[in-house]
Amino acid sequence: MTNKPPSRPEFSRRAFLKGASAVAAGSAVGHEIAAATQPESGATVFGTELHTIELTVNGKPKQVKVETRTTLLDALREGADLTGTKKVCDRGACGGCTVMLDGETVNSCMTLAFDAVGSKITTIEGLGTPDNLHPMQKAFVECDALQCGFCTPGMIVSATACVQKRGKPSLDQIKADMSGNICRCGTYTRVFEAIQKVGGQKVEGR
Amino acid sequence: MRPFQLVRPDNLAEASRRAKGDKSLIKAGGIDVLDRLKERLENPEKLVNILDLKTDLSDIARDGATLRIGALSTLAQLANAGELEKSEWHAIRDAAGKTATPQVRNRATAGGNLLQLTRCWYRRSSSLGCAHGGDGPDCLAQTGENRYHAVMGGIDCFRVHPSNLAPALIALDASVRVRNDKDERTLTMLELYPEEPYADEAEHTLVSGEILTEILVPAQPAGSRSAYRDSREKESFDWPTTSAAVRMSIDSGKITDARICLGAVAPNPVFVPDAAALLIGKAPSDELFAKVAAKAYEGAEPLEKNQYKVRLGQATLIDTLEAAAAR
Ligand SMILES: Cc1cc2nc3c(=O)[nH]c(=O)nc-3n(C[C@H](O)[C@H](O)[C@H](O)COP(=O)(O)OP(=O)(O)OC[C@H]3O[C@@H](n4cnc5c(N)ncnc54)[C@H](O)[C@@H]3O)c2cc1C
Ligand code: FES
Ligand code: FES
Repeated sequence: MTNKPPSRPEFSRRAFLKGASAVAAGSAVGHEIAAATQPESGATVFGTELHTIELTVNGKPKQVKVETRTTLLDALREGADLTGTKKVCDRGACGGCTVMLDGETVNSCMTLAFDAVGSKITTIEGLGTPDNLHPMQKAFVECDALQCGFCTPGMIVSATACVQKRGKPSLDQIKADMSGNICRCGTYTRVFEAIQKVGGQKVEGR
Repeated sequence: MRPFQLVRPDNLAEASRRAKGDKSLIKAGGIDVLDRLKERLENPEKLVNILDLKTDLSDIARDGATLRIGALSTLAQLANAGELEKSEWHAIRDAAGKTATPQVRNRATAGGNLLQLTRCWYRRSSSLGCAHGGDGPDCLAQTGENRYHAVMGGIDCFRVHPSNLAPALIALDASVRVRNDKDERTLTMLELYPEEPYADEAEHTLVSGEILTEILVPAQPAGSRSAYRDSREKESFDWPTTSAAVRMSIDSGKITDARICLGAVAPNPVFVPDAAALLIGKAPSDELFAKVAAKAYEGAEPLEKNQYKVRLGQATLIDTLEAAAAR
């Protein structure tokens, strides 16, 4: 791993940080970084060293240090100390790392942290707390919808997105929406039950 | 992933300029790119992030009779697009909706889907050198573990083309707009892939630095309906083992026009006009569809472990023909 200064002169960390704070100030979602940075020749280039970026996680701004190659998953777990989101396959092939990006589920292992700047990120930590469980978490407990629990954070994020999107989803819709989350312990039928139980309720996330 | 510079271009011309050369790699949704970088199949110095140009390139809209699909539209957008509910274009919706998982579809782009690298496990391994990757003399699949490999069209490399969208777009006679820093050109979907898919050639015909900007789907003949179907070992998470896309027009009970494309069975999507021609002037029937499927796979030469694909591919095509006829 190298940590050498950027080889391209157009990169400016200061400008980037300014861009990040523009995000915090609530400017229009989209291209804040590019807009707030002075592009010298039609592009902004970020070098191979560490950068401080700001992510909006569960409604709060979080400054994290990342490389350009850092995935959103690693930025959350190692940079923001939010270890609820699990790293399992690291290849988009299990759903264990599922988070919401502007309300849509994504594999955080296949998303660069840089690509999440300016988006609203919702992780399992944004849904409930141990003292005040989210309705979906409560339903998972009540339906005994987990065994080892490793897939559960991703399952609950996908399940919440399903109910947010569909209101009262049918079993087929639940199956379709949950088809990106693998459970090695085979808890699927209870997961479906839990979601049906919550279907029709209002399920907010931060 | 090895460290890289992340280039965020302000516009397409700049993106193209920065993407030129073998030290750069374009990234759209990044689903395929991140996998390749994590496996260290490639170690680019620069990653050119065209996802930043999303607002310009993510519309799905009608332009007169043509449907324009921005290259950065996601598969989820395509799977839910109201415009595609129309039966003539439905194959696109079918294909996008069956791809991967909801999470992947929320990120993966249409352009990236057409240009993704083969899933051949030899090509996608950084420790096994094969002719297609340029690190070895032979196609390791030809004599190796080849249950998912080509049953036709292989010359010296027996990879298969993994894209769901490609066969659907070929069946619909679509084309793609491509640009570099100065010029634009249009390629038919068939021209996007090499005529002769040799091992030492790229899997698509874009020149270094060229960016696919949009997909153009023309109006289909009157009475057209289309469908895409595939076979998979798992209903989600997996690439198809065989696939097919069909467009046909039916007038007074008779098929008046048809296009068929097969996927996942050859290094390229396989357009089969001879098989489609058998449909013309006939009424849809089980017998006719079986004949068409046999014709589509005529001359197939499976490898040692993928013989199942010929029968399965025919069944998939029959399924697709039935689905299109029923729309
Ligand atoms: C678990 C899993 C299952 C999957 N199942 C399927 C499946 O069943 N069927 C299927 O078809 N796919 C499947 N995929 C693959 C997935 O659909 C593709 O990886 C995705 O569509 C690629 O799009 P992207 O935007 O992420 O492309 P990227 O990864 O960003 O790019 C892919 C390639 O295209 C190039 N590129 C991208 N956009 C452009 C452009 N506009 N101009 C020029 N070059 C460009 C890049 O340089 C790169 O070489 C699956 C993936 C996963 C992880
Ligand atoms: S860890 Fe991201 S999908 Fe498996
Ligand atoms: S509960 Fe063990 S993997 Fe799902």
